[in-house]
Amino acid sequence: MRSLPQLAGRLLREPLVQFLLLGAGLFFLYQVVSPAPETAPNRIVVDRAQVARLAQQFERTWLRPPTRAELSGLIDDRVTEEILYREALALGLEKNDLVIRRRLRQKMDFLNEDLGAQRRPTEAELQAYLDAHAEKFAAPARTSFNQVYLKHDRNPAVGRKRADEVRVQLSTGSIQPSEAGDATLLPRGLENASAREISRSFGEVFIAALEQVPVGSGWSGPIETEYGLHLVNVSARDPGGPLPLAEVRAAVEREWSAAQRAESKAKFYAELRKRYSVSIEIPDEKKAAVLKQ
Amino acid sequence: MHVSPLVFLAPAVTALAVALPVAAQISPSKESLSKLYSGAVYSPHAQRRFPSRPLWGDTHLHTGLSVDAGLFGARLGLEEAYRFARGEEVVSSTGQPVKLSRPLDWLVIADHSDAMGLVNDLAAASPEVTKYEQGARWSKGLRAGGQAAVETALDLITTFSQGKVNKDLLAAYSPGSKIYATVWEKVVKAAESYNDPGTFTALIGFEWTSLVKGNNLHRNVIFRDGAEKAGQVVPYTTQAPIGSTDPLDLYKWLENYEKKTGGTVLALAHNGNLSNGLMFPVDAQYTGRKLDKRYVRERARWEPMYEATQIKGDGEAHPLLSPDDAFADYENWDVGNLDLSEAKKPEMLKYEYAREALKSGLLLEARLGTNPYKFGMVGSTDSHTGLATAEEDNFFGKHSGSEPSRDRMKHPFTKTKHGEFKGWQTVASGLAAVWANENTRQSIFDAMARKEVYATTGPRMMVRFFGGWNYTKDDLNSRQPAFRGYEKGVPMGGDLPARGKANAPTFMVYALRDPIGANLDRIQIVKGWLDAKGKTHEKVYDVAWSDDRKPRADGKLPPVGDTVDVKNANWTNTIGASELGVVWTDSDFDPKVRAFYYARVIEIPTPRWIVYDAFRFGVEIPKGAKTTGQERAYTSPIWYTPG
Repeated sequence: MRSLPQLAGRLLREPLVQFLLLGAGLFFLYQVVSPAPETAPNRIVVDRAQVARLAQQFERTWLRPPTRAELSGLIDDRVTEEILYREALALGLEKNDLVIRRRLRQKMDFLNEDLGAQRRPTEAELQAYLDAHAEKFAAPARTSFNQVYLKHDRNPAVGRKRADEVRVQLSTGSIQPSEAGDATLLPRGLENASAREISRSFGEVFIAALEQVPVGSGWSGPIETEYGLHLVNVSARDPGGPLPLAEVRAAVEREWSAAQRAESKAKFYAELRKRYSVSIEIPDEKKAAVLKQ
Repeated sequence: MHVSPLVFLAPAVTALAVALPVAAQISPSKESLSKLYSGAVYSPHAQRRFPSRPLWGDTHLHTGLSVDAGLFGARLGLEEAYRFARGEEVVSSTGQPVKLSRPLDWLVIADHSDAMGLVNDLAAASPEVTKYEQGARWSKGLRAGGQAAVETALDLITTFSQGKVNKDLLAAYSPGSKIYATVWEKVVKAAESYNDPGTFTALIGFEWTSLVKGNNLHRNVIFRDGAEKAGQVVPYTTQAPIGSTDPLDLYKWLENYEKKTGGTVLALAHNGNLSNGLMFPVDAQYTGRKLDKRYVRERARWEPMYEATQIKGDGEAHPLLSPDDAFADYENWDVGNLDLSEAKKPEMLKYEYAREALKSGLLLEARLGTNPYKFGMVGSTDSHTGLATAEEDNFFGKHSGSEPSRDRMKHPFTKTKHGEFKGWQTVASGLAAVWANENTRQSIFDAMARKEVYATTGPRMMVRFFGGWNYTKDDLNSRQPAFRGYEKGVPMGGDLPARGKANAPTFMVYALRDPIGANLDRIQIVKGWLDAKGKTHEKVYDVAWSDDRKPRADGKLPPVGDTVDVKNANWTNTIGASELGVVWTDSDFDPKVRAFYYARVIEIPTPRWIVYDAFRFGVEIPKGAKTTGQERAYTSPIWYTPG
């Protein structure tokens, strides 16, 4: 069992508790102010704590305390805001306001997120998460290859024939890869490149075909893309695979936390929803459309 | 940290296995390498000091944390935005599954700073609270997490809402002096957790949303730093008394940030087209303050880039400013200011568009000693959906109200008595390409700071642009032209080196089309200069083009053609070229006048996003709506200053 001061410290760091205590504070203030308007209905008190908070807000922006003039400007602004806020409430302007509704909804989301984010996972939990989602954290397969590029010919058969000839020349060593083919701005090869990296330069069609070429099988192809024809020579391929927790800890922790948050969020709304009975009345003419979907 | 010894051993074994055969061979000396090949060593990847491909990203994405985005119903937050940018499939705010064709390499989430004070007022409670049974119980439940936390939260809410909180506990509550979890802390924390150097970079940023009478003066702020520095501050706002709408005050804040934290930061503006003449002042700021040495120096120092194209209009050039430029009429939004509270007047345009600003910059440099508009160009989305989509066939709109739906192209985007931005006019644009050596915050930021960046309207074409005095055709044909590019001159964003005895500058420019995109129509070089009388000029040169077209008698190149099939939302790469390149010499060069040059790469015509909408939803395209466009890239300029 933890000591009370430890517990207190923990509690204070809970944004939810802070949030709710503020709410309670306002509620309390309301209780004090509203049933007895005759005491001081239009009195505004900017107390020391509020002044200190204004000063700190300034300091977070400018990394220095406000000057006397700046602070009095901040206080003035706060008073103006308080007056307008109260007058707006008196007019009922907060009702049916889409911005306010969405803001409050968002605040509930924050509240919920902060709940899910508070606990750090244990080692065992991370390992279990990694085991269950090994493919998500695996090292991608990597390929090293060279390519010789040939422009499309107006006659595809001529283009293919030329590609076959160049491939034979490359295979017999009668021409160097650096001298073969047509000039291009595409890379002449990539080293240890993942499928994602290869497709960035060459596109999806290319990588799909390249994956079928065995390592060390010499010059093969051509692979046809929208750029032209590519003769390829795959020199190495690392199949990739699962990685130990030590190497992917940060990512696993991030994903674990996200999953926790999503779960807690769903539960939270499900629980809240239980408190309501929801009935939906669809106008007759819309009914058909809804049912059709 | 505990690491298994096997992890250390594995790379060592691999290195050994690879090193042996290589060491057994003779490596070629520099002298033995062919003159055509410009690498210093045989391996073109070894000893390379420049990047082999650009890194793609968006400097300007909003999530549901932005007030306006939330208002339009954006439900996606920071996490979803990063996941989407990294290439994962997510569900949009309107419930539609969506995924990028390819991941982005980096992202700046730039939510509006004016909203980030949202939870600033959360106050601390007195430590006394845990004396009470309720306090202790809640604390325990929340720490337990999972189902217990959910139940605790419900208990808390119920207890507070019914006023059943222990009276003494309530009395013990006092508004504290500590400021807690701000939205900004969430922003910083999310960036830290999604930043994955080498794979995906999450740069920390925010948008300073200065709006003066409906005129857009917005800037995005990007940090080079991580949480340890960027987390020390909260973003600058536009609300007095702490914030301000004057860019000079923003610069003060940026300087203060750097001084106090030792960090590094930059800003970039966007949507000059919606500023009604205020974005690029020449004589005085909107405040009436005359432009002086301080203004031009500060603007040049803090704003090395400009966002030249995005959803709310393309801002490179305007046909009224560039009547001789056949491609200037592209996705312009020129009806009025941001909220259409004031209509556009033609005389405002020259203070709004990037090309004109680059020209004005030369004039101001001559007048005040510094060029305030010496910026590189990027594109970004400014999407308010948490989804950085800039592709025509995968466009999720400006805000959640304009995510794919049957009617979105018909809904007005903004409409007042002064005019209308129509729904179909929103632009599926743009992206920022950065020539950074590594995919890290530092490397990407540094490339931005040196302006080695370019804008595209969505496609990912690779564009290189170098300026120097002695590039030749051989450099381009050397198969690794970038070696020569860096060796003999400067890349985009730079200043031409000293002229020496050369007569005219040469530019090596080449472009490779997007691997899954459209072919290229042409490359153009746009030149701007300031004559001896202090007047600015511009000229657009066609320098490389496809399909062996011959310029007509008037010097104009015939159009590339059009394969777009609107009915079937289709087009083919049967026209255009997959790559284009040239070394171009400016034969009109005058060594006495200031000038800049940038490249514009134009694709063949492709369908606009509304054509895909019409095809997929089976709806009619509104009358007068533009169905095709030629997407493009704008490089950062290279400047020449008389020595």
